[in-house]
Amino acid sequence: MGVANKNAKAMTPQQQMEFAVTLKREPSMSSSCNSTPLHPRSSQDADLGDDDGTPVGATLDVYMGDADPFPLPVDSEHKARKMKLFSFAPPHMLAFHLSWFSFFATFVSSFAPAPLLPVIRDNLDLTGRDIGNAGTASVAGSIASRLVIGALCDLVGPRYACAFLLLLTAPAVFTLASVSTATGFIVSRFLIGLSLGSFVTCQFWMSSMFSAEVVGTVNGTTAGWANLGGGASLLIMPLVYHLIEGPMGFDRFVAWRIAFVVPGFIQVLSALLVLVLGQDLPDGNYQELKVKGEQNTDTAWKVIFYAVINPKTWVFALSYGYCFGVELTVDNILTSYFFDRFDLPLHTAGVVASTFGLANIVTRPFGGYLSDWMAQNLGMRGRLWALWSVQTAGGMACIFLGRIGHLAGTIVVMIVFSCFAEMAAGATFGVIPFISRRSLGVISGIVGAGGILGAVLTQLIFFTSSAYSTETGISLMGIMIICCTFPIIGVYFPQWGGMLRPASTSPSATEEAYYLREWSQEEQRQGMHLASLKFAENSRGERGKRVAPQPVLNPMSSSATLALGAGVQYKMA
Amino acid sequence: MDLAILRVASFIIVVHMSSILAEGATLFSELSNSLTVSATGADNTSPNGTKAGADELFVTWALSSAAQVDDSSYKTVELKLCFGVPSQIDRPWRKTNNVLSKDKTCGFNIGSPQPYNRAGNTINWLVRKEIPFAHYFVRAYVLDSAGEKVAYGQSSNAQRTSNLFRIEAISGRHASIDIAAAVFSAFSVISLLGFFFYEKTSTRGRKA
Repeated sequence: MGVANKNAKAMTPQQQMEFAVTLKREPSMSSSCNSTPLHPRSSQDADLGDDDGTPVGATLDVYMGDADPFPLPVDSEHKARKMKLFSFAPPHMLAFHLSWFSFFATFVSSFAPAPLLPVIRDNLDLTGRDIGNAGTASVAGSIASRLVIGALCDLVGPRYACAFLLLLTAPAVFTLASVSTATGFIVSRFLIGLSLGSFVTCQFWMSSMFSAEVVGTVNGTTAGWANLGGGASLLIMPLVYHLIEGPMGFDRFVAWRIAFVVPGFIQVLSALLVLVLGQDLPDGNYQELKVKGEQNTDTAWKVIFYAVINPKTWVFALSYGYCFGVELTVDNILTSYFFDRFDLPLHTAGVVASTFGLANIVTRPFGGYLSDWMAQNLGMRGRLWALWSVQTAGGMACIFLGRIGHLAGTIVVMIVFSCFAEMAAGATFGVIPFISRRSLGVISGIVGAGGILGAVLTQLIFFTSSAYSTETGISLMGIMIICCTFPIIGVYFPQWGGMLRPASTSPSATEEAYYLREWSQEEQRQGMHLASLKFAENSRGERGKRVAPQPVLNPMSSSATLALGAGVQYKMA
Repeated sequence: MDLAILRVASFIIVVHMSSILAEGATLFSELSNSLTVSATGADNTSPNGTKAGADELFVTWALSSAAQVDDSSYKTVELKLCFGVPSQIDRPWRKTNNVLSKDKTCGFNIGSPQPYNRAGNTINWLVRKEIPFAHYFVRAYVLDSAGEKVAYGQSSNAQRTSNLFRIEAISGRHASIDIAAAVFSAFSVISLLGFFFYEKTSTRGRKA
């Protein structure tokens, strides 16, 4: 190959091939390689000879030159290995921005009625109970939709799943303008709340576009930024309403109806952008890849089955309910807590309480980043430890929060609690992409639904009856957080280990064995498992820095697999 | 309940005795109930079913003959449209509070403040479109020259449960809004289906 290498080390021919490929793409990569402050790994991407045990991956097809060079460095599945925040380059970063914006749009729509409630409750003659039910309905709907959308992602791809959800719930936003009874209002908010299932399409899409090294950071950033949609609608909707009521001179009861055109439009626009500009995978869309024979058609039952029988799915559904779910519950009760217990004026209480949710802009991405950073040295064990310790620390902060009697201390502990709870939510989705490759969508959906269910249950148990005062409820909630985080200690991947147990030393404890157990022999004969195989190989980094045995390959696998297997080498630490 | 009436009565007596030195009240219970107020619809019909934006309310008020008060400090009268108890149930944003500054019972002004006369006061008021559907009564607050409330009168009973009238609000819906909503909804569903079929046929064409 004759490549000049400033780190002149003896490289195998395989590594030389890849190094050549990397250098060939360097002009377009140069800016992206060295300027991503968020990426946990070193920015010297040319350093292929370093001893971190990460395989460089077989890049046979890239070497053959039939794929267009990507603007970001990629692995063998063409998933980006780095994130460049302010780039919109297709396919990876464009997908990133489309994804968080479409999820953001659904938050805006779901929480749009909230700031206009003073007008809506007069127009529809709502009682306090109606308003409470509508608020619960708007998040409860997302439980069902997250489960369904997970399966849809696995089957038709995240692009269509996202557009399907947004475009089919947009009518609910528009027809809110025609509602005239309390029942109609509650039903509308339920249907609009279904759109919050786009959380799953967002995380699934990011897990398909970005590799194991940055998947936590990317998942956390998209979810954290999208969460701001709730706060954004508190700003946008009153402005729009006053514009329509004031300068345009419409009556109050007409103006709020017209105002809902705005969130509806934002939702439709973001869905159309996703369809037109986005693509499901770095190599193309599911449809095209199916035609080319590179993407298999899976069946819904199989996908759901492999998600449901995996116990890790349920462990994380429970734990996510007690980081993200708790966050939602606290968003609901915090304003009244400051107003009632510390006698803050209502507006001030609202502003102070809103900082809890607004912290998401940095805390959730940071949680994902922490997960990726721990994975560099400790692999999956590091991710699990990061998640468990952050969430347990959040639980302890929550116990304190209920016990502090003065305002300043409460605000400080609230900020600490928000950081830990939101970081835990970000860190959760640093682990989810590795539980299963076949059923990633359904698992993301179940965990996401678990989050909302946790919110609804916590609100019901601790903050609805008058059996506990709010501060007692908060402390008890903290204890519940710690208990529901406990099962994470039992999560164990044979090839990577768990929190307390190291990885199995058996030669059959490999990534390939773990991901291929979801495919039957018949399916493997049809070659349906190839994507999982590539993913298995790319997830080798989750071993951290320990010695890795050679994978034992299935002798019945296709020749393509053998070629991949032979091409892979990785450094011993 | 009896105790509350006793307390209110004793407050009123205290106000009577110190009426010469009376200052603005901060509690509703300090006000003296010295006016009689009545509200009717057009042609002296019942105000029940008055339509917002279309019908008028006729309010008359006068000094109550039963209340022996010194009205030398009474300067202006503010008329307000207030929520009756049935429309306050389970609606904490309309809650009655004895502290006048926190009281949310009376949400709407009927006309502008008028000079105080002992009798013969009427006002015709077109019910505005922003008035929501509820059971209402009319209350008149009497202000002194400093603008502080000193007395009141209302068209309902003291507990605000009877002698209420219903106002029918506008729905806020318009045919044009409904049609626009239907059109946008249809657009959103059709664009999804359109894209789906377009991509399916274009990949099929590529395969063929």
